[in-house]
Amino acid sequence: MSQASEPIVSMRQITKRFGGVTALNDVDLDARAGEVLAIVGDNGAGKSTLIKILTGVFQPTSGTIELDGEALAMNSHADAIERGIDAVYQTLALADHLDPAANLFLGSELTKSVLGIRFLDNRKMRSEAERVLADRLGVHLKSMDAETSSLSGGQRQAVAIARAVYNRNLRILVMDEPTAALGPQETARTLKLIEVLREQGLAIILISHSLDDVFAVSDRIQVMRRGRRVGTVVTKETNRQEVLGMIVGAGEMAQEAM
Amino acid sequence: MSVTEAPDLKSRLEPYFAFVGPLVMILMILLFMGVMEPARYFRISNLNIILLDAALYMPMAMAMTFVITQRGIDLSIGSVAALTAILMAFLVKGYGFPAWLGVLSAIAIGALLGLVNGLVITKFRVPDLIGTLAMDLVYRGFALVLAKGLVLARFPELITGIGRGQIPGFVPIPVVIGIATFIAGAIVLRNTYFGRYTIAIGSNPEAAEMTGIAVDRHRVYAYVLMGAAAGLAGVMLTGKLNAIQATSAPYFNLHVIAAVVVGGTSLFGGRASMIGSFAGVLLLSMMINALVTLRIEFFWQSVASGVVIISSVALYTWLQKKDRDGSGGLITALRTPDNARLLRLAGGLGAALILFLILGFLFAGQTVPSG
Ligand SMILES: Nc1ncnc2c1ncn2[C@@H]1O[C@H](COP(=O)(O)OP(=O)(O)OP(=O)(O)O)[C@@H](O)[C@H]1O
Ligand SMILES: [Mg+2]
Repeated sequence: MSQASEPIVSMRQITKRFGGVTALNDVDLDARAGEVLAIVGDNGAGKSTLIKILTGVFQPTSGTIELDGEALAMNSHADAIERGIDAVYQTLALADHLDPAANLFLGSELTKSVLGIRFLDNRKMRSEAERVLADRLGVHLKSMDAETSSLSGGQRQAVAIARAVYNRNLRILVMDEPTAALGPQETARTLKLIEVLREQGLAIILISHSLDDVFAVSDRIQVMRRGRRVGTVVTKETNRQEVLGMIVGAGEMAQEAM
Repeated sequence: MSVTEAPDLKSRLEPYFAFVGPLVMILMILLFMGVMEPARYFRISNLNIILLDAALYMPMAMAMTFVITQRGIDLSIGSVAALTAILMAFLVKGYGFPAWLGVLSAIAIGALLGLVNGLVITKFRVPDLIGTLAMDLVYRGFALVLAKGLVLARFPELITGIGRGQIPGFVPIPVVIGIATFIAGAIVLRNTYFGRYTIAIGSNPEAAEMTGIAVDRHRVYAYVLMGAAAGLAGVMLTGKLNAIQATSAPYFNLHVIAAVVVGGTSLFGGRASMIGSFAGVLLLSMMINALVTLRIEFFWQSVASGVVIISSVALYTWLQKKDRDGSGGLITALRTPDNARLLRLAGGLGAALILFLILGFLFAGQTVPSG
């Protein structure tokens, strides 16, 4: 399966220090098109730090990132977006008082020129938003006029994802704990969205504390522990017990068993 | 999904609350005055007085809608209006500027003072409440220094025209200006980057920042717009009275904030209603005119503005509270231990005051007339 294909992005020997704290130590990561890579690990294991380096928010202390086999240097999140890497965070960056279309285009509004003055093209943004939500995510909102605050958690997630997906260049989508605040039904919807995007050939990186979610959608699981990569396993060839053991640390497991 | 139907309908209606609120209150005033003083309240000449009064506040209420939607506030607008009007008076009367240039200069000076406010807030990181309150003192001080106790009077026709001119058979010129600024404001709010980002900044400042919006720059824009509107109001006030002095326009800020807030623009940011602000301005002018018609003392106006602000903010907060389960009414609310303690505190203070009054009357000596 996808194991065979070349990775779009490879992070090699990434180390990140914050002052005296080593958040990441010699970590590798590969993401492939049409594949969901889950990253799991205890609190503070370095998951968020790793993907913030991938999305240009942080710069690594040492290590390299390659995109399509070419070295990639990014100075900001905007650089990452330009190269087709974007992220959706758990605390969604949505303005609740604006409608979904306004949120989808927030910061990169579509405009039209009237008498030489640039005005927002609200109608175009609305139809485009409807199109992206329907075509790419299979989501139909009951009303495009309602404030975003009136949407359910899963619908809000869809709006945030649609914002990333609207960028035609997008190839790698990172999701940091997207289901953490969602109930079972909305979680199922969000996982469905992830599968839809995988079908479209995106590389998805999913950070989650829920092994249920991870085993439901991922193709491979990368386990982090105390800033190091413990290992990467193929989801079909492993089980919860093994992954849990890697998260907690087999040594400590053994100690506890004694 | 069917569970979400009901709140859907409510959220669809919510934008109209803003307009309905002041409209209901306007109707109540009309009804009340229809019973109390129909003859004097419903005269054409009185209608004109109401509109003239409202027009003065319209540009400022339009601009304040942007400021408040961004979670800001501007308490300096009265002084900005007074200072710009006095500077304009000097330019026109002292230096012989043509009236139209004086007017344009006044608006530009207002914008500049607004820019100072915006920079104080965004660059020096002084909270808007304190920053604009302090700048209010500064601007008022400059006005007093410049004009001393003088009343500058008699202005060119253009300026009095802006303040109280009448289009024959139609509404006064200031009303046209006021409505035009509101229409422009509504377009800017809906159809420009500035309007969109104003709502985003007020709704979720962190999200606005994350999506790459220049938050501070757009906040400065709002204060510049506010200053320009206050400058225009200074011109309109000068024209209306055909006179200006350093102590003019003392209550602009609270009056304008009251109008905006009663119109449904949320002090907590993100929710803007231009038409609500318009209705709010009309409501306040009608209310004050009603007080005058009923021959209630002028100073009650200040009481009325304050009460309008508090009650409308409280009302909208209550309306927007999504979850009213288990609140169980006033009586249960009073039973919570915290509220019971507050009640005891209030009772204690009241009892102490009554005691002091009784003692005062018991030991009262000769009164000393202060006059
Ligand atoms: N900006 C920062 N400055 C200093 N230390 C940081 C910073 N960001 C992260 N760290 C540290 O780096 C380590 C890894 O943090 P990170 O947020 O990546 O963990 P995580 O795996 O995402 O945890 P969680 O599951 O709780 O989200 C932690 O020890 C954290 O304290
Ligand atoms: Mg994290």
